[in-house]
Amino acid sequence: MTTRNKKVLLKVIILGDSGVGKTSLMNQYVNKKFSASYKATIGADFLTKEVLIDDRLVTMQLWDTAGQERFQSLGVAFYRGADCCVLVYDVNNSKSFDTLDSWRDEFLVQASPMDPESFPFVVIGNKIDMGEEKRVVCVSVIMLLKGVIADRLKISAKRASTFCQSKGGIPYFETSAKEALNVEDAFEVIARQALAQEEAGDFSNDFPDTTIDVNRDYPDQGCSC
Amino acid sequence: MTAQPTPRGPPSPTASFYDLSDDEEGEYNTIRHSSSGKGVKLLYTKSKVYVHPTPSAKDNIPGFIALVQQKAAISNDARPPSSSSAKPTTSSSLLLAWMPESSLGDAYDTYVKVDLSDSASPPRQSYLVPPPPTTTAHGHAVGAYAFAVPVSEVYSLLIRPPSIGWYFGSVVINTRAGDSFPALFFHDSECQSTIMQRKKLAKESFDPFGDGGGMFWGGDEVLRWLKRYVAVERSADPSTFLIAPSDEDKVSFGSKSPAMKKREQEEASSSSAQQKRDGGMDGLTKTLKEARWNFLEKLSQVTTFTRRTAEAVAESKNIPPQVRRLLKNPEVQTLQDEFDSARIYLARWAMGIAEQSERERTQRIWTAKDVLEMEDSEVGEFEILDVESSAAAAEKRKPVTMKEWKGFFDSKGTLQVTPDEVKERIFHGGLDLNDGVRKEAWLFILGVYNWDSDSEERQAYMNSRRDEYIRLKGAWWERMIEGHSTPEENEYWKDQKNRIDRHIPIFEGEDIPHPDPDSPFAETGTNVHLEQMKDMLLTYNEYNKDLGYVQGMSDLLAPIYAVMQDDAVAFWCFERNFLRDQSGMRKQLMTLDHLVQLVDPKLYLHLEKADSNNFFFFFRMLLVWYKREFEWLDVLRLWEALWTDYLSSNYHLFVAVAILEKHRDVIMQHLQHFDEVLKYINELSNTMDLPSTLVRAESLFRRFQRTVEAVDKKHSFPSPSVRQRKPEASSTSNVGASSGTSSGRTPANGTKPSTGAEKERVISPELRGLLSRKVEKLNKEEIQAHGGGVGP
Repeated sequence: MTTRNKKVLLKVIILGDSGVGKTSLMNQYVNKKFSASYKATIGADFLTKEVLIDDRLVTMQLWDTAGQERFQSLGVAFYRGADCCVLVYDVNNSKSFDTLDSWRDEFLVQASPMDPESFPFVVIGNKIDMGEEKRVVCVSVIMLLKGVIADRLKISAKRASTFCQSKGGIPYFETSAKEALNVEDAFEVIARQALAQEEAGDFSNDFPDTTIDVNRDYPDQGCSC
Repeated sequence: MTAQPTPRGPPSPTASFYDLSDDEEGEYNTIRHSSSGKGVKLLYTKSKVYVHPTPSAKDNIPGFIALVQQKAAISNDARPPSSSSAKPTTSSSLLLAWMPESSLGDAYDTYVKVDLSDSASPPRQSYLVPPPPTTTAHGHAVGAYAFAVPVSEVYSLLIRPPSIGWYFGSVVINTRAGDSFPALFFHDSECQSTIMQRKKLAKESFDPFGDGGGMFWGGDEVLRWLKRYVAVERSADPSTFLIAPSDEDKVSFGSKSPAMKKREQEEASSSSAQQKRDGGMDGLTKTLKEARWNFLEKLSQVTTFTRRTAEAVAESKNIPPQVRRLLKNPEVQTLQDEFDSARIYLARWAMGIAEQSERERTQRIWTAKDVLEMEDSEVGEFEILDVESSAAAAEKRKPVTMKEWKGFFDSKGTLQVTPDEVKERIFHGGLDLNDGVRKEAWLFILGVYNWDSDSEERQAYMNSRRDEYIRLKGAWWERMIEGHSTPEENEYWKDQKNRIDRHIPIFEGEDIPHPDPDSPFAETGTNVHLEQMKDMLLTYNEYNKDLGYVQGMSDLLAPIYAVMQDDAVAFWCFERNFLRDQSGMRKQLMTLDHLVQLVDPKLYLHLEKADSNNFFFFFRMLLVWYKREFEWLDVLRLWEALWTDYLSSNYHLFVAVAILEKHRDVIMQHLQHFDEVLKYINELSNTMDLPSTLVRAESLFRRFQRTVEAVDKKHSFPSPSVRQRKPEASSTSNVGASSGTSSGRTPANGTKPSTGAEKERVISPELRGLLSRKVEKLNKEEIQAHGGGVGP
């Protein structure tokens, strides 16, 4: 049974430390806007965007989350049913990179996807507009997907690619939400990853319409926390 | 006699109004009774018009709205006709009445007959019914919402047609004495006559949308009846209709006001043609109805509501300017940008407009009120109707001024009244926003000052606090100068100040260049107040080292600093504010869960079905006390009410339920999943009306309190092994007696969730805690242990 005509909703969760630019990336991608005065996200929110992937119209639901670890354990209800998880750090802040691992683990624990090994992640290093590297950055998607990182980039780029490879070849992008660098490209890959994940989930299900419901009715572990 | 054994029994003649004793009738502010015992002429009536005494649909009381004519009025009118009334003879012999179905007794059949007769023409046959008790004031009599007011005493009608957010259209009657009656809700889908009239209208008008039936509603009829007998004029406020207005009224509120003229010009092109068909419906109302139709029509063609559609609608010449303006305003734009699905979009849109018109109405009425006060007119105060309904309430809601505040203290600055009295005033009225009273009063309600101190003691205490602040600030300052500060200190804190309210005047300026050229905020300058904010946050870090920066801190500090404009004072206020707010987010969400289960089990079950009973969608509101949800000035007003702990130290949870209740119908009808609920609630930000929210929160609190009392009473009786009717009835009547309110309807038994109804219901400790006024504050050690109180 083909699922071509079904309306697909792809759920994408964006995680990372406070202030790395999660909200900015999302707004740049969806609304083509950047503001220096986004308030710190409290709780969670999402934006939706329709995208065409190889003639298929899909709706991406991008979940923006609070970057403070302190608040994470409360709001994990929306992790469930995710099709892709984006890990964001600030290329100028090494601490925000160091925490990526724990964000990833936290996600896997809370979302508990069917197959954690193959669950798609994408890593984004944001704020490449800052500092002296400003003008050097423009790495093609293909190079990134192959894990080839131009060594002119900041040190963290190398570390990031190492990290990504160690996690099973996670796609990696360096972006500037402020100057709209690489943002489209990153999200296109995110969308493809998410769609692939969604379709993989559909294999085990002959009734496409119930796919979303299955996800929604995922056992409530938190139990009215 | 007062204890009715079968409150839900069928309407019987013995329970009717006409058997009330003279004493009981005397409780009404009676003007005149029909002298002949034969009754009055029922001209028009409409069935299924409800009073909603509580937010729970279960408590709704069905009845009839009616226009009746008194026979004796024309000859024997001893009372001088009201000077402002245009047609005193006619209008004083007419009564506008609402009668509960249960009180009609034998007359019920007559009411039904008149309801179903063709109301398009004046009645040919006379139908006599028993005279209703005539009143001019809405006395809060026991359970009796029935009233009949002479049309000559009706000052205005507030007409609110149905919309998607407001499922039922409503009418509120305001009297010349300044009183107003409870809103009457027209349940059009249950009302045979309205259904018939709709069908008829659809046939006659060839309106392609007529089948949708949105155009005509029960409230239109009431205006039509009245127009047969008296002048009905739309006021400057589009949803208010003046009844037989005097010349002064017209000047104050009527179509001659400058605001109105402008409005009329704006509307003239689009709305005049449809005016007639619409029974004189005011512009905004009609506009909304039509716009809704247009949207629905477009929606029937496309399943997903695209932005293009919205734009097309916005550009269409058929759309009146008001709606076009609404579509172009930034908030609506945001909605368009982020729409999720058509039905949520529509629901939100309708609610947004409802809020907007509510707000506009409030503003306009306040202006009118100001005018009245200036002219010292005898017309009486103009009420904000859906907000509260008596002159006493308006008095209660007056903000506390510096003058009133000073009056609470003697010359030594010792409080001369009880703290509770002061708290009550601030809780209901708030503090004046201009005269600086907040700077003093906040220190008390936040607990920086003791209520029993005198000015000298307070002065000394503040001096010591200033010293302490300077000491704390000096500590990190020194480290920074000497270069000992940790990278985190610099990295993390430096830009948090930019993530606050730059739109507020004191934080707006950019007269100081950004100290760090590498910062993403380098292009936006800073100012002295922002730098102060940064210093205070860093100082708080020094004061409470284990906590570090917590998101929401700047939200909780900014309003306090903006009011105090003194960093040391603001710091210690903030310290109080912050400690209480962080206490246990998890516990708060759980308490909210219990509370909603108790006060609105139906809604709770719906949220449960929508996988939303974790109440996470209230996280932001609870964490920063609605800072992001209300306009700046409203936040100040809300916070000072919350700080008083006048009813409960967790009153913000009742505010949450009040918000939930307001949007209950939309949530239950349109929102099926967690993401939809979250999105909808998030987008309420900056669209909500505070005064009505506060009123709703208070009545929810009172209801909660009564429910707990009722449950406690029931438990203190030895309960029989098999549940019988009698003990239940007695406990219910006890509730009414103890709380001194009307409620034989107290939902002690009724609110029981349908599932597990047979289990014994207990009030959880969390819920019981809501009745406490004691603030639970976390000490620093606890914060350290529980991660700012958000842990388990």
